Amino acid sequence: MTTPRQEIELAVGFGKHIEKRKVDVPDGDAPPWDANSKFTVVGTDADRVDGLAKASGRAKYTYDINFPGMLYGVIVRATIAKGKLDVLEVDEARKMPGIAAVVLLKEVGNKVRFVGDPLCAIAGTNLDVIRDAMEKVRAQYTTEEHNVDFLQNPEAPVLDGDGNLIDAWPEHEIGGVIAGAEASHEGTYRTEVQTHSSLETHGAVARWQGDDLEIWMSTQATFGVRGELARALDEKGHKPASVSLHAEFVGGGFGSKFSAGVEGLAVCLLAREAKAPVKLMLDRFEEHTCTGNRPSSLMQIRAAAKKDGTLVAWDTRSFGGVGFAPGGGGVTFPQHYIAEVQKRGAHKDLVCDTDPPRPMRAPTWPQGYFGGELFLDELAGKIGIDPLEFRLKNDGQVIRQEQWRMGAGKFGWLQARNPKPGSPRDGDDPRYLRGAGLASARWGGMGNHGGRTPHGCTCRIHADGKVETRSGAQDIGTGLKTAMAMLTAEELGLAAGAISVFVGHTADPSGPAAGGSTTTPSLAPVIRHAAWLARQELAKIVAQHLGCKPEEVTFAGGKVGAEAAAKPMLSWADACKLIGPNPIETRGTRFPNYKGEAFNNGVCGCQFAEVRIDTWTGQVKVLRMLAIQDCGIVIAKKLAESQVLGAMIQGISYALHEQRLMDKRSGRMLNGDFLRYKITGPADMPPMECIMMSVANGHTNTSSVGLGEPPSVAAPAAIANAVYNAIGVPVRHLPITPDKVLQALAARRA
Amino acid sequence: MTKPPPDQPQEAFSRRSFLKGASVATIAGTAATAAATAATATQGKPETFGPGTHEIQLKVNGQNKLVKVETRTTLLDALRDQMDLTGAKKICDRGACGGCTVHLDGQPINSCLTLAMDAIGGEITTVESLTEGGKVHPLVQNFVHCDAMQCGFCTPGMVMSSLACLQQRGKPTREQIQHDLSGNICRCGTYGRIFEAVERTAQGAQGGGK
Ligand code: FES
Ligand code: FES
Repeated sequence: MTTPRQEIELAVGFGKHIEKRKVDVPDGDAPPWDANSKFTVVGTDADRVDGLAKASGRAKYTYDINFPGMLYGVIVRATIAKGKLDVLEVDEARKMPGIAAVVLLKEVGNKVRFVGDPLCAIAGTNLDVIRDAMEKVRAQYTTEEHNVDFLQNPEAPVLDGDGNLIDAWPEHEIGGVIAGAEASHEGTYRTEVQTHSSLETHGAVARWQGDDLEIWMSTQATFGVRGELARALDEKGHKPASVSLHAEFVGGGFGSKFSAGVEGLAVCLLAREAKAPVKLMLDRFEEHTCTGNRPSSLMQIRAAAKKDGTLVAWDTRSFGGVGFAPGGGGVTFPQHYIAEVQKRGAHKDLVCDTDPPRPMRAPTWPQGYFGGELFLDELAGKIGIDPLEFRLKNDGQVIRQEQWRMGAGKFGWLQARNPKPGSPRDGDDPRYLRGAGLASARWGGMGNHGGRTPHGCTCRIHADGKVETRSGAQDIGTGLKTAMAMLTAEELGLAAGAISVFVGHTADPSGPAAGGSTTTPSLAPVIRHAAWLARQELAKIVAQHLGCKPEEVTFAGGKVGAEAAAKPMLSWADACKLIGPNPIETRGTRFPNYKGEAFNNGVCGCQFAEVRIDTWTGQVKVLRMLAIQDCGIVIAKKLAESQVLGAMIQGISYALHEQRLMDKRSGRMLNGDFLRYKITGPADMPPMECIMMSVANGHTNTSSVGLGEPPSVAAPAAIANAVYNAIGVPVRHLPITPDKVLQALAARRA
Repeated sequence: MTKPPPDQPQEAFSRRSFLKGASVATIAGTAATAAATAATATQGKPETFGPGTHEIQLKVNGQNKLVKVETRTTLLDALRDQMDLTGAKKICDRGACGGCTVHLDGQPINSCLTLAMDAIGGEITTVESLTEGGKVHPLVQNFVHCDAMQCGFCTPGMVMSSLACLQQRGKPTREQIQHDLSGNICRCGTYGRIFEAVERTAQGAQGGGK
């Protein structure tokens, strides 16, 4: 494939770090933005375009879709953690009043793999009659011994009473390097299972009209899920003539909603059998126990450094506490400190009889950064070097070097540090200990063009002046719709609010799943390209009217026209009146990312936290937090900040509160609700601030990089480091609950 | 470790029906006072409802609506499934998240923990009332202005709890806002900006104070 290309010189970088770089731009692409581009809409504080729909309660999420005659569906699930299904009788349930359909989801003789493994699904006129019918489903099992604790897996490593891994390290030359180094350290770190806890549970509404199937689904992968369901229904012999999917508003996903899941297939089958639309939304217990999680982890780290703080060796072994099958349990350590050092790493997933993990916001990273960054602070303490200095010494990222300095100044790092960890700060009530910590963030998220079948976007300009931008991808709250409006408005010289945005319908051009921080960087270039093409079409029409050349037509401040033309500028509305009954309609092309090196192959960030420990109760209170974060050229500033702030709050939650508790005997989650599965709430909130940095990477026409994951990587680690600074002993096991803090304080006193 | 002996057949039981049954029983217990109050309001003539569905009248956002409910139907289900007022969200269905918050006689309540029948005779206000007739309540405007949302699923409940906070306190302090919203959770992490939206509304000329 040879797209003609032209070499263009761009100014890439940020702040004072601007350099010229030649990039290879495909012919036909919109002229790329760079560090010198001036914007009127992009990068401003424009409001979220669907903010009013959401805050008014009028936005229709999947859960809110109602049709006359619509039925409800519920999944009946296994009550044992491991065994075989011997009997599944549903005839009596089928005969209950109000019941319209029952479909089997597990065949007799098949394995049961965790509490909640689906057995069958029931549709009826309301949830109450279905609950009555569920009582009549009879399931019998042959049970087997189960285990829901990954550290009870026979292949799990041996730990001592303090939770340290005691098996000898496998022989390797790195052992000698560490033994002979000027400073070295070793520690074992652990994290617990975290559930995604999206507030809109998984589920869908399915409606058949003849053989045409329409689905509303709470998903972060509209096209993936459409394809998955079409194939699955084919296999079941239902051959839908067409399948279209809607996900206009999605109440969170965080990585758990990439697949149609058993609920997606079940609702389509129920609707088919019942000959009526069916809504099937999981309840909160199912959401906690059957829709994936961030798996637990155990990490042992040993490393060595020179006396001046330069790292020389990094050796790790880790274990992931996954569900009934291996996969997804890995951990990722901060690579930017150890790019040049001698390294070794080994990992193993340990299965247990629970719901398997699914990707969760920066999958594998928050675990490894917690372990890695806390380890680094411990090592810094041994060497007697300030943690910030230690980072500056070893961090190979230019962007983050700047961020560390900026953040430390803004946060008042030196003043916030407790100079005598474990002792109260001067003037404080001695009951309380304060401390400060920091940690880094990193992610890729450069976006992609979609491979063999590139992402698309449509832009329409109507004769009445209305502008539409359309993508079939989904906005799960990250702000895709607003970015689409702002990019389009920038090209057309309009305000963001003047653009109508449509997302989440598979009838529109395809786009990526909302995962890995790729939606915005993958789509921004094609959204802009579609608008840029539409602008050229309108320029042609206007030029004809004004008697000038199309290239001379400008679009700014809601006016269209040309300085050189004899006739005056046209208002946007008047310019659009020149369009015929067919709107201008352009389909953007998502060209591959430019060849050549981007300024940075991802995003950088760092976060700072100050905490206060109540030594009587062991409670940790986060007093304040600061984040510095880049995401390429920032498009929607206010929304980008929201995403970072949200990640910081989730970070508090992961650091201090969240853990799935399993009942060993029944294999059931003990806290599968929001009463006992605690997430950070309003009362826990410290003041927090986020500063967005704009970096021109020069890899696409918009230079945008994804933002969803990176800020969630740093927060738990920064908090754990702050706790360490406050009490003088590391708490190496998340969440840092009061019992662990009291234990650590007691151990310190002893 | 104690485990169920292998090879022993176990009966499936429906967790949902058990839990829902249990929680409805508890609610019925605690709601007795509310029901009594409602009954007094309708001249001390308590009505009796048997099993099956019954048509009742609820006053929602100033309008009387007839809905068919069972004794076990929650106010949340009645609003969402029968009146298509889907601003109140079903998130936990157990009183733990605040997403279903509506006002009953000016007080914020979890509509998932309130039986529809216990709301007879009361004034029910839902989030939709704040954008009726083309007018947008300043609190809603400020939620948008402060970007006090991401996915938006918790947002209507947050708006209703915030509204109660403003109505009851006029100019709440940050601590009071945090206290009054502590029954609401947001997974996306939008709390800080929600507090700002409430404060802005309290400061605004047309703010939500009485
Ligand atoms: S749905 Fe009512 S409090 Fe959660
Ligand atoms: S905005 Fe998503 S849960 Fe609050």
